Amino acid sequence: MNSLGTEYTKEYTTFIGLEIHIQLLTATKVFCDCAVGFGDEPNTHICPICLGYPGVLPALNESALFQAYQVATALKCELSPATVFERKNYFYPDMPKNYQISQYQHPIGINGTIEFPYRNEVRSIRIHDVHLEEDAGKMIHAGDISLIDYNRAGTPLLEIVTEPDLTSGDETEAFIHYFRRFVRYLEVCDGNMEEGSLRCDANISLNEPGRGLGTKVEVKNLNSSRFVRLALNHERERQAKLLAEGSSIQQETRLWNENRDITVVMRRKEESHDYRYFPEPDLPPFRPTPDYLKTVESSLEELPLSRMNRFRGEYGLEDDAVAFLTEEKSRADFFETTAAIYAEEIKSDETRGMEIYRWLSGDVLRHLNRSHTSLENSNLTPRRLAGLISLINSGRIHGKIAKKILHGVFEEDKDPEQLLEEKGLEQITDPERVREMVQRVISEDPAAAAQAAAGEEKVLGYFMGLIMKLSGGRVDPRISRDILQEEILKEKEKE
Amino acid sequence: MFRSTEKYWKSVLESQEKIEKYAADVRQIDRRIGAFIEFDPHRALPAPAEGNPLNGIPVAVKDNIAVEGFRLSCGSKMLSEVASPYTATAVQKLQEAGVWIVGKTNLDEFGMGSSTDNSALQRTHNPWDTSRVAGGSSGGSAAAVAAGLVPAALGSDTGGSIRQPASFCGMYGLKPTYGSISRFGLVAYASSLEGIGIISDSLSLTRSLFETMRAEDRHDQTSLLLQGESTPVRTIGVLSHPEGLSPAVDRAYRRTIDELKNLGYTIKEVELPTLDYVIPAYYTIASAEASANLARYAGVRYGHQNSLAEDPQELMETSRDQGFGAEVKLRILLGTYVLRSGFQEQYYIRAQKIRTALRRDFEEVFQSVDALLSPTFPVQAFPHDSSDLDQFQQKLADRFTATANLAGIPALAFPVGFEEGLPAGMQLMAPMHGEERLFEVCQKYQEVCTPIHPDRAASRPHAKEERSTP
Repeated sequence: MNSLGTEYTKEYTTFIGLEIHIQLLTATKVFCDCAVGFGDEPNTHICPICLGYPGVLPALNESALFQAYQVATALKCELSPATVFERKNYFYPDMPKNYQISQYQHPIGINGTIEFPYRNEVRSIRIHDVHLEEDAGKMIHAGDISLIDYNRAGTPLLEIVTEPDLTSGDETEAFIHYFRRFVRYLEVCDGNMEEGSLRCDANISLNEPGRGLGTKVEVKNLNSSRFVRLALNHERERQAKLLAEGSSIQQETRLWNENRDITVVMRRKEESHDYRYFPEPDLPPFRPTPDYLKTVESSLEELPLSRMNRFRGEYGLEDDAVAFLTEEKSRADFFETTAAIYAEEIKSDETRGMEIYRWLSGDVLRHLNRSHTSLENSNLTPRRLAGLISLINSGRIHGKIAKKILHGVFEEDKDPEQLLEEKGLEQITDPERVREMVQRVISEDPAAAAQAAAGEEKVLGYFMGLIMKLSGGRVDPRISRDILQEEILKEKEKE
Repeated sequence: MFRSTEKYWKSVLESQEKIEKYAADVRQIDRRIGAFIEFDPHRALPAPAEGNPLNGIPVAVKDNIAVEGFRLSCGSKMLSEVASPYTATAVQKLQEAGVWIVGKTNLDEFGMGSSTDNSALQRTHNPWDTSRVAGGSSGGSAAAVAAGLVPAALGSDTGGSIRQPASFCGMYGLKPTYGSISRFGLVAYASSLEGIGIISDSLSLTRSLFETMRAEDRHDQTSLLLQGESTPVRTIGVLSHPEGLSPAVDRAYRRTIDELKNLGYTIKEVELPTLDYVIPAYYTIASAEASANLARYAGVRYGHQNSLAEDPQELMETSRDQGFGAEVKLRILLGTYVLRSGFQEQYYIRAQKIRTALRRDFEEVFQSVDALLSPTFPVQAFPHDSSDLDQFQQKLADRFTATANLAGIPALAFPVGFEEGLPAGMQLMAPMHGEERLFEVCQKYQEVCTPIHPDRAASRPHAKEERSTP
């Protein structure tokens, strides 16, 4: 943002709201039995129903409905006693029926809230409503011809509409990052913005402080959270400049142009659609029973913000560690399971949170990145990691050997204990065995021994290296350093 | 007097020769009637369904109900070249019972009309007087049955489209309870009002076809399998002052009331205060739903396509303009109009309120009577291009039949003899899932009147053969 923009924008309050679409993680489409598949050959997941052939009817996918209720419940929405599907009427070539089955007057949930962390505080955003609908196909223009792929048509989409409670592009970007984590924790969406499984449109208005909302401008074509930030900050500046000049804002829809880094007009208000919503006669209203809602409630996983707070308190972790560990639900689960196994089975009062974090964010992450695997799909289990850490803490191995064993776990799919035995990697802590080795390296290089005896510190390091080499890295470095110093002292006395 | 028998119909499939003879007769007679849009007895020969009484019975299907491999034209230029890639659940159930689907019958375009003259493909004539219409929109099905080409045909009834042509042709016509037969595969016109039903010359066949098709279908979440309680019918309600009936229909109505009284039923006059609002409510709801239901026909994936269009928008606009007939366009426009935002309260929502009031009327009526008798239609079969009833009057005339669609209740049209040389028909209505009551009364009424076919010797395809059999 340039200084000119800042000068304008500080005069105004900014109101940003989002319309977020998430593709639900169901095996089949929302109204037919076709598989949901991204990136497959065009028009391979289609049937008379999702193509809108004459005479077909929609049949609601129960799993999509359940996931919709999970999201609405996690967003603390008021749930409609009877949720109603409606037809949203407009013509577009990639819309098989030329109406979209959506919800309007009685969405699944209304008046929710979501809290998310932003710059060391917790922000709360109100949710206007959560409603379930179907996705359209995709039209591709290739020169003079237009092609349509209907694989996506009928994919279950959940739309989450927020109130205009966000105040800047940066905050909105942070919100989207959090929201992505939120839906991944709930396991209802993979949150992939590039593939379009999480999409968002924004609306933004500015006004003088205390005067309520301004004239709303919608911004579309925001294909990444970065574009969301750039487009909204750009739009905020554009509007502030207009207002400062005494001009008024046009109610319109604008598109983010990622090549020019500006928003451009797509359509004005007077061109806006009348969707002629009316209740979908092919789908009866759904009335969730108390039992149904209880099942939804009990299926919900702990949400990221709560988990972040708990990690801070229970494991005494710093913000960086908390952020890393809660980034993915699978990682947070792995972390907690490891800590629990360590505490329970190793019978320790300590959970060793910080140690587990260091391993996960260090060597484990490096290995996963190198081998392009995920934690869940690797040979490392929470039990193995807990075992490895316990080997270190009981003094049976030291850090370098631990790294070797971790490598063995990944490569050979074996427990740390087994690798330790097979490779004979157990630390040598018997002072007599260590002393033998120390005496041997000293006697093999009397000149260096003399230097050491003369007080040259760095020669001690040289001898330590020789001892490690001789023992295959197995000697306890603390013990061997002590003995080395004793032996050098003896050398000195000899002189 | 000849009555088609199950035994005869089942014998047709006995040999290739008999099938060919049957096919030749149907083609010859239908040249005069125009009931079939497509007739092919070989395409869907039934698999043997051991012991099923419906095995081998030929049935025609209105051409807005999907049968894989057959056309699905809906009587429209828009879909005249479309072949269905799947089969409607109701038809599938019949085929599993061994029913023989022999062809597809003509209709008013997308079921919109009361004469079948709104078909963009061909004209259908009333077998009793070919200068007259067979009724509509299931006119092809009614004419095929009346002409003796099939003993039964499937139709669809949105506001009377089974019962009115059945009465125009002197046949039975059943519009079942909403949701009792799956709509999956019935091309939607007005989804909340319509359903698949049966036109037949046999009451027992009507009943067994209904029993075979009714089911809860996972492809139609508005379908529901419920057995109505079997209350014996003692009291039949009649409308105190049915207005606008032709003198002939009025006579037939009074005569039927007397005949039912003579059969031992108690007759009770009832009021349906909302009857006057039925037509505005019916056309508002039907058009609104139609405007969305017919939006999919835009020349993009199937159906009529304007090959000269230069961009997708033009393709959709011009294909629709060229593919739809005037009546269809009228209803799409009407439906679009009543659904505009800001006008829904005035039209669509008000119509839904009338619908609720009508349902309450019926609930009250059925507290005191077991079934309700009314005329099917204010007039008998009218001449083609008649000036007696213009398109607007034809709509007004739907009020007796459309009430059952708004209320979702079952209704059965049945023949009550002849007036002025043409068939006259009445309809009985019962509470939701009360089809048994309708069958029971009509069964008893067979003591007074049973359906007959016109000019039997000439029009029965098999009459000669039947008579020559020793």
